[in-house]
Amino acid sequence: MLISYNWLKSYIPEIPEASKIADLVTFHVCEVESVKETDKGDTIFDLNVLPDRAHDLYSHIGVAREIAGLLGLKITEKSFPEILSTDTDLQIDIETQNCRRYMGRVVKNIKVGPSPKWMTDLLEGIGQRSINNIVDVTNFIMFDLGQPIHAFDLKELSDKKIVVRQAGDDEKFELVGSEKAVVTLKNTDMVITDDLKTLAIAGVKGGQGSGIKSDTKEILIEVANFDPVSVRKTARRLSLQTDASKRYENEISPIVCNLAMDKISYLIKEMCPEAIFEETVDVYPRPQTERKISFSQSYVSTMLGINITNEEIEKILKDYNYQFVSSKDGFEVTVPSTRIDLNIPCDMVEEIGRAYGYEKIVPEVPKINQVIKDNPIWTKIYQAKQKLISDGYKEVMTYVFKDKGEVEILAAASDKNFLRTNLTDGIKESILLNQKNLPLLGLDNIKVFEVGAIFSKSGEEIRVAYGDSKNIIETTLDKFCESIPSDFSYKELSQEEISKIYVNENSQMQFFKPWSVYPFITRDIAVWIPEETDKEKLVEVYKELGTDLLTTEPKLFDSFTKEKRTSYAYRLVFQAKDKTLTDEEINKIMEDITDRVKSLGFEVR
Amino acid sequence: MVKKIVNGAKCKDFKNRTRLKSGSILFTKRLRNVNILTMQEYKKGSLHPITLIMNEAVSIFKDMGFVVELGPELEDEWHNFDALNIPKDHPARDMQDTFFLKDKEGFVLRTHTSNTQIRFMEKLINSGGQPPFAIIVPGKVFRNESTDTTHEMQFYQIEGLMIGENVSVANMKGVLLEFFKRFFAGENVDVRLRPSFFSFVEPGFEIDLNRGDRWIELLGAGMVHPNVLENCGIDSKKYQGFAFGIGLDRLMMMKLHVTDTRFSYQGDLRINQF
Repeated sequence: MLISYNWLKSYIPEIPEASKIADLVTFHVCEVESVKETDKGDTIFDLNVLPDRAHDLYSHIGVAREIAGLLGLKITEKSFPEILSTDTDLQIDIETQNCRRYMGRVVKNIKVGPSPKWMTDLLEGIGQRSINNIVDVTNFIMFDLGQPIHAFDLKELSDKKIVVRQAGDDEKFELVGSEKAVVTLKNTDMVITDDLKTLAIAGVKGGQGSGIKSDTKEILIEVANFDPVSVRKTARRLSLQTDASKRYENEISPIVCNLAMDKISYLIKEMCPEAIFEETVDVYPRPQTERKISFSQSYVSTMLGINITNEEIEKILKDYNYQFVSSKDGFEVTVPSTRIDLNIPCDMVEEIGRAYGYEKIVPEVPKINQVIKDNPIWTKIYQAKQKLISDGYKEVMTYVFKDKGEVEILAAASDKNFLRTNLTDGIKESILLNQKNLPLLGLDNIKVFEVGAIFSKSGEEIRVAYGDSKNIIETTLDKFCESIPSDFSYKELSQEEISKIYVNENSQMQFFKPWSVYPFITRDIAVWIPEETDKEKLVEVYKELGTDLLTTEPKLFDSFTKEKRTSYAYRLVFQAKDKTLTDEEINKIMEDITDRVKSLGFEVR
Repeated sequence: MVKKIVNGAKCKDFKNRTRLKSGSILFTKRLRNVNILTMQEYKKGSLHPITLIMNEAVSIFKDMGFVVELGPELEDEWHNFDALNIPKDHPARDMQDTFFLKDKEGFVLRTHTSNTQIRFMEKLINSGGQPPFAIIVPGKVFRNESTDTTHEMQFYQIEGLMIGENVSVANMKGVLLEFFKRFFAGENVDVRLRPSFFSFVEPGFEIDLNRGDRWIELLGAGMVHPNVLENCGIDSKKYQGFAFGIGLDRLMMMKLHVTDTRFSYQGDLRINQF
């Protein structure tokens, strides 16, 4: 949600400078993802508003109330004088439970034209295009108060009547906009109609027919509230997520309609002083009831693990303009109508805690004494893996997703729609893959294992599979563990013991080395050296002259002794990080190596 | 006759051998034309780096007194969502990209190991037990999103759950700070809390970690929502506590400098570098 600093300042005259706002919000309200300065002298913050605060923070007034509350600053919330209005013959019928409130107001003698600069500056600052004064002012109120508003061209209504109801199945409807998109409605979609034809998809988008045009003289302002689940389902089904539907689907308080209708009327009057306002018709069958929450200082303290005083809690409540009553039992707050997220005492713990400041909470490691033990499956898995590595197997992990199986998933982001029914297939693929890389791995053969779940029609089962290129064995975890000899011992290593595996003899961390995607080349070299000479002398030469193209430790693959000389045969593996090596490049390196070996008095075979 | 080395421990013929520093066996005698090939550390098995990281994490929490619990990967919606206060048709369910199953309505591949926390609490209450308790749940989880260097469709998490009469946010902070200090031993570790939202906790937090230079967003946590406790039969007026969840693949990338999470699940031994 893009929030303009200047817009906030109109609510909070004493707001601190923009550079202080981002951290204040991030550590006490919600994450500020970016801060951008515009060339019109404004600063725009992008707030990551999560579902619990989408009721009130998708509006500048909501964010202003938060900032003023956190800092204990005065907030100017104007109320708007009643506008002289004439009688109206507008009729509003709500024929669906999904509409919680509908306020309609006819305004005549308006002139569609450009919006005042202060409004376009604020709207453009948050990325909204200016269209005309009427469309802009409805947009303005939505980003200002969090209340979506729709304006209809009155002459498109066949009668001065609005009926809110569910659409007819397979009803076609053309949306407003240059693309002239036509959607097919269903009975689960709520629509705004004039009783004869559909004018808008409630809470989502208006129709092409009834939108505001440059010669519109009379309008109907709709300030309404709709059931969040209904709007969400419709918006999703039609793939039509709009700023309006986003707010409705997160639920808005119907009480916001009052202020929204007053403010938009006031702004229209300012822009069109000759406008004639009819009385507002308000259908509000089940008014939102007031909620109270009771909580105590000791509850807040034990939940957060702090010692907060009643005075500190009172200051926070006062700064936020909460109506509350305090007694010896604690506090009883009246929940502000826009705070649909506040229902139970732990909701107030968060309100108090984040204002108090989480950085003030002192960490305290608890003492834990339990009689329950680890789940035996954990112990079996640990034991199975220890047994397998002691037998020389290396652990692999393969994909659960396959292109065939007994349990199918829906709409995967890849082409593999089934869950594996065995581990063996994955192990086979792993062996084939690893065999291509035997020289890189410095191994003579591949021995791998996997412990994991498989999925069949009869359910989920944990299996153990292990093998090499000749043979793969797969069995259940239980059967594998039963087959482990009773004299096999192992222990669950401590974290310090485990982390020793990452360090070399000098206790230096050996980090993961990413491998090259380019092919490798191997070369074998066998050299006779005197029996008592250490073969390390050869390895030193290979490593020095192999350059950094030498990817792994030279690997001894053959040796034998004859007549006081030993032949050592090493395999050298070369690979570049950024290209495919040529034979010529490697031939050159081998020539250098051969020359050096000869110069040391050894015979190359 | 010299026996071929297949598995050193089983080889019974120990004549004619020279034991080298590394402990492997080099046959120097050669009979007929049979060449006995040797390799250093021929018998070395190895664990996948994710297993190493998981075992490290589990060991630290067990040291603090936590106990390991495990659960199914294929789960019903009650245990994966509804019990966790994530209602159907609510934006909060969108916060996770879920794998639903064809022909098996009401089931999903679990999106977090929290399903197991629900199962644990239900089992505890059904067997006549009560809090306090502290468990950690490592396991594989699934998200239906496109893959890249830091995202895979299957990955590992470890979640913690501690419930008792006075378990607080201060305890949560203490446990996590202690965990990271030990996991990143020798570094200047600190944690900080920011307000956030998850359906199953209230208050909810994002927790950032600092290893001596900058802050990075690392995990979500919070005080378990009373609805979740009541859904499992636990009296939320008497008991309270925290839950948290950390991505193990992420920890592996941070500690071992693995550069791409997709390397882990190809069955590729080039990742077994430890």
